[in-house]
This record gives sequence, C-alpha cells and structure tokens, in this order.
Amino acid sequence: MELRLEHVTKRFLDLTAVSDVSTVLDNGVYGLLGVNGAGKTTLMRMLCTLIRPTAGRILWEGEDIFEMNMRYRKLLGYLPQDFGFYPDFCAQDYLMYIASIKGLRPAVAKARVEELLHRVGLYQVRQKKMKKFSGGMKRRVGIAQAVLNDPKLLILDEPTSGLDPKERIRFRNLIGELSQDRIVLLSTHIVSDVANVAKGIFLMKDGKICHEGSMEKILREAPVKVWCCRVSGKEADACLNRYQVANFKTDDQGCELRILSEEKPTADAIEETPTLEDVFLYYFGEKAGNEDAAL
Amino acid sequence: MLRYELKKILAGKGNRIALFLLVVFWGVSCYCAVTDIDVNFTDGQGKSGYGYFAAQKLREAQKAWMGPLTEETVAAVIEKNARIIATPEYNADDAARSNIAYGWMQDYRDIRNIINCAFCEFRTYDYYRINSLTPADAADFYPNRLAALKTWLDTEAKDLYSDEEKAFFIDHYENMKTPLYYTWKQGWESLLEHAAMPQMFLVLTLSFVAAGLFAGEFSNRADAVFFTACHGRGKAIKAKIGAGVLFVTGAYWIVWGAYSLFVLGTLGADGASCMIQTGLGGWKSFYNISYGQLYLLASFGGYAGALFFLFLTMLVSAWSRSATVAVTVPFVLIFLPSVLDNLGSDWMSKLTGLLPDQLFQMDLAVRYFNLYCVGGRLMGALPILFTVYTALALLCLPVCYRVFRRAGIGR
Ligand SMILES: Nc1ncnc2c1ncn2[C@@H]1O[C@H](COP(=O)(O)OP(=O)(O)OP(=O)(O)O)[C@@H](O)[C@H]1O
Ligand SMILES: [Mg+2]
Repeated sequence: MELRLEHVTKRFLDLTAVSDVSTVLDNGVYGLLGVNGAGKTTLMRMLCTLIRPTAGRILWEGEDIFEMNMRYRKLLGYLPQDFGFYPDFCAQDYLMYIASIKGLRPAVAKARVEELLHRVGLYQVRQKKMKKFSGGMKRRVGIAQAVLNDPKLLILDEPTSGLDPKERIRFRNLIGELSQDRIVLLSTHIVSDVANVAKGIFLMKDGKICHEGSMEKILREAPVKVWCCRVSGKEADACLNRYQVANFKTDDQGCELRILSEEKPTADAIEETPTLEDVFLYYFGEKAGNEDAAL
Repeated sequence: MLRYELKKILAGKGNRIALFLLVVFWGVSCYCAVTDIDVNFTDGQGKSGYGYFAAQKLREAQKAWMGPLTEETVAAVIEKNARIIATPEYNADDAARSNIAYGWMQDYRDIRNIINCAFCEFRTYDYYRINSLTPADAADFYPNRLAALKTWLDTEAKDLYSDEEKAFFIDHYENMKTPLYYTWKQGWESLLEHAAMPQMFLVLTLSFVAAGLFAGEFSNRADAVFFTACHGRGKAIKAKIGAGVLFVTGAYWIVWGAYSLFVLGTLGADGASCMIQTGLGGWKSFYNISYGQLYLLASFGGYAGALFFLFLTMLVSAWSRSATVAVTVPFVLIFLPSVLDNLGSDWMSKLTGLLPDQLFQMDLAVRYFNLYCVGGRLMGALPILFTVYTALALLCLPVCYRVFRRAGIGR
C-alpha cells in the first residue's frame, strides 16, 4: 500500500491553500498537524477526490486517484471536518444507507453496521434520530461510517474536535485498533491526539509541509531547548514577553514556567526533554498558544 | 440504496409536512369538486342543496332527457321552457317563488346551456337566449354551431387565422357526429373542471420534497461523505433520481386516483362516452372527444406536468444547491401565465397556450382556438404540450445526473 503525493498544489483565486506538497505514505497512522487555515482540510479533500489539485498528482499504488475513480473510492474512508448527516435518519438507517452507497451487499452491510454500532457504543441508541445525538455521539457515527467499507485509506479530518477528554481517549484507542493494515491520516491541531499513536507526523504551515518524519526525528531536529523554572509573579510577566512559554502554572509561591529558548532563561532553570507539543509551539509560535493545546 | 433513499425522503420532517399538506389540499379539492355550483339541486319548495344527494336527485330528474340529442329533443326542451317562463312562479318577484320555477328547469339545465350556445354569436353567451326561441328553431340547433363559427371566422377573426387554419377549424366542426348523445355526466364535468386544483397543489407541495432531494445533501453538509462513497458519483445518484421518479409517480397517481374515485363516487361515473360538446364549456371545442377521453388527457397531462415541474425542480436543486431557489421554479412557472394572460393579446394567448401549466388545465386547453404549425402540419396545443413537456421532463433526468455528478470536482 502506498499513497504518493507529487507536488500537490491547490490555489483558490489568489490564495494558495496547499503548496507543492510531496510525500509518500504507507501502512500506519499519520498525524497532520497545523494551525487553523494551514491547509489541512484542503489537502485532505484532494486526497478524497472532492476537489482537484491545481497542480501535481496523487497516486495510489502508482495510479492517479482521479483516474481510478470508483476503484479508489472503494478503498477510501473519510470523516469530514464538518461531518454532516441526515438529521431525521436514525443511526442505523444512516449507516445502512452509507453502506449501500459504499457498495456493501445488504447482508454484509447489516452485520457490519451492527458490529460497528457495538464498537462505537451506540447500539442501544441505534433507533434514535441523529439530530438528537450529542456532538460526541455524532462523531462516533462519523467514524463508524468512515470505516464501514474496511478502507485501506482512512482519512479523518479533526476527528476529536468537540470531544471531551474521556471521549478523546476512547477515540484514541479506537484509532489504535483500526490502524492495522491500512493507512490512517488524521489531522488535528491538538498535539496529544497523535503524539503517541502516530508513526509519522506532518507539520503543516501556510500550505506547506514544513517538517515531517517520525516523532523522534521531529523532536531531534527541532533546534529548541525546553526549560523549567520557578519565578515570581513579576518575573513571570517579563518571561512571557521575552520567551515562548509552553506552560504556565501559578501557586502561592509564584509561577512555574515551561520556556522554549536557545539559552538558559534563568539561573536556576532546569533543562527538560522537549515534547511534540513544545515543538509544535516552537514552530507555530503564538498562533498555537491556545488553550486547546494544553489538553 | 433506492430503499434507503425513499426512506430518507419519508423521514424528513419538512417532507412529512409537505405530505400532510398534500392530503389536506386533496380534501379541499374533493370538496370543491363535489360542491360545484352545477351540482346544486333545488327541491319543490325552492330550497337548494349540494353534494351526493343533490347529484342523485338531479340525475334522476335529468333521466327524462337522456339519449340522442335530436332536433325533437331540442324542440321539446324549448317548448317546456316556454311553458315554464309563462307561469306566475317564474315571473314572481320574490326569490323563494321564482326558485321553485328554477327547480322545474333544472332537469334540462345542461341542454338549455348548449341551446343558448347554439343560438348566440360565436363569442357571446346569453343565459336567457332560450326564452326567445320557438320549437321550430330546433332545426337550426346543429347547423348553427358551424354557421356561428364561419361567421366569426369571416368577421371578427378574419385576420387572426390563415385560410388553412380556418379550414382546419371548419373541418373539425364538420367531423362532429350528430346527433350528440346526452346523458348524466356531472361527475366527469366537475372532476375535470376542478382537476387543476389537486394537480397544482400536488406539484407545489411536492416541489418542496423535490427541491430537497439534491440540495439537502449540501444543506446537511452530507455531500462530502456521499461523494467519497464508492457509488457516490454514479449509482447512488441514479438511486436518488429513481427515488424522485418513484415518489412523484406514486404520489401523483395516488392523489389523482383518490380524487377521481371520490368525485366520481359522489357524483356518478356515467357519461364517460358522452362527447364534451354536450357541455357548456365543450360545445365550441374543435376537439371531437368524449369525457372519458378528456379524462385520460387530463390524467396523463397532469402526470406529464407533474414530472416536468418536479424534475425541473430537482435539476435546479442539483445545479443551484439551494432548495429555496429550486422551490421557486414551479411557483413562478405556475403563476406566471396568469400574469401574462392579463396582458391579453392574441399573440400572448398563443404563447400562454403552450406553457406547462396548461397540462393541468386540459378542460380549458380543449377550448382554445390556437393553432400551431409543426413540420407543415396544423395542430392544436395538446399534441405539442404532451410531446414537448414529456420530452423535457425526461431530459431533465440525465442532465440532473451529470450536474450532480460533477459537483465539487470541477474541471
Ligand atoms: N473553497 C475555498 N475557497 C476559497 N478558499 C478556501 C476554500 N477552502 C479553503 N480555503 C482557504 O484555504 C485556506 C486553508 O483552509 P483549510 O480549511 O484547508 O485549513 P485547515 O488547516 O483545515 O484549518 P482548520 O484547522 O481551521 O480546519 C484557508 O485560508 C481557507 O480560507
Ligand atoms: Mg480543517
């Protein structure tokens, strides 16, 4: 199994959303990390044949995916970022419908839908209209529909957005189970989603993949040192202005900071090993400093 | 696939409301048809009633005149009328008493109508014309139909038609077999006169369903999953179209069938083989057809119209991706002609006679004196309406398929 991207570019009028992306994916889970507007969704929509690249090619086992057409879609599972469904359908009917348009035979479809409903923990509410589902339940149906046809290429666009921590862990386990013998590409701007499961990581910025490779490689290559130090409240303000601060804890005695910097920020700072989160922050700077990243 | 596509249509809340409204409008249409002014029966005390019992009594009363509508029958009607108008009741000033006289006249009401037609000028109608006739005039009853047409074509309509067109009308008039056969036919008349109602309501309510069929994928943001599915750019779209066709077809024949059964069941189904020329509206028609044949025209015309309007709505919905835009299409197409008609020129009438709403108004379409020349042959609007709109309706489907299939990918 091999998905190869060659100079894939997508331009919208004067905006280049994805710019000259080339890479190769084989078996395993890949994380696509990037801030809002980096071009993750655009890239994924191209991989799903929903839009055509302005330039470049996408090849599955050496064959252009747009020419493969139906044969390619047969191998594909996709959970869109804004996953939409039919509000008046119940989960079971919805999955049966998707199974039918995915070309599953009715008998197979029935068993598969039942199995997946159990797997995502929605069997009890399978007859309930989907518009009455919570956000997490809808996402789970979304994941179930994506894997209905046992896809060789599973593309999940921010599958964890809007999930609470418990659901997120549950989801991570599900991905772990699903990752055998297929390519899973999932995008997120929440580092911890992929930190431990991904075989490869792509850091995307302004339409370009700026860094890619295994987690170790990315951590190794980032020219950043991480320091942990205790400072008083006043000093903390100064640090926040001078350095990129990955974490910030306040207590009675003052503040504990996690600082990204080439040089030692304070005399008593202790160097720590960087995590993917630190690297993400380092590369994407202020933009990534949202509270989500801390989860 | 098809099964779930149909299920999707039926599960939608908006669609359910549309179907509920359809049932309501069906009821309204049935009510209007069976309480038509022509179904009223006035009893010996001068009191009027409508509906099933009125129809029964009226039919009983009119039985006397059933059979070939010969000169003798016409003469007898004129004579009976003359007797009634001489009575003190008829000439009474208070409404209750004159209503009694009206009750005596209702058995020959239908025949009176066409006698009035026959003895008026072509484009006029005088309800009291019969009062000034004598039984001797009956001999002119049939010849007058043709004579009035000829006079009209030579005077008022002189520059409206070419010589071939005039000959076409005269030819068709001469082809009507006389004497006409007269029988109770109120069921068919009411049904056909109000046929536009259930048919247009059907189109208007179902247009909401048809508009959502494709646009719903986009508005629910379900398109991404749909188009990335194996059959998402092929068979699944065909299933959608198939569901649309089945739904429209099913709904149309159920509504139309139920409407027909109700009206004919209430007012009586006899008279299917009676010519439309025995009715006030049909006397001047140059289409020599029976009520049964007109019913078939209305049934299939309505079906062709429903297909055309709703397939077009589906197409616009696939193309515009907006149910709101799509839904306006049938509304505009149905109400536009009445606006155009008010401009009221002969040229305009020729144009509006070919607009798709005519398919729902067969009853009126057979009365228009519009001729069109197609491939060197003269014809009325009906053959054109049927072929053009059926073809356009069917053409919508493959276009729909292509438009929706290309969504997103672009070129
Ligand atoms: N159909 C479109 N037409 C024009 N511009 C678009 C279109 N789709 C995306 N863009 C632009 O392309 C850029 C990349 O968007 P994209 O949705 O791929 O980012 P993203 O990485 O998925 O962001 P997020 O994390 O918010 O989901 C954005 O600037 C966006 O405005
Ligand atoms: Mg996105």
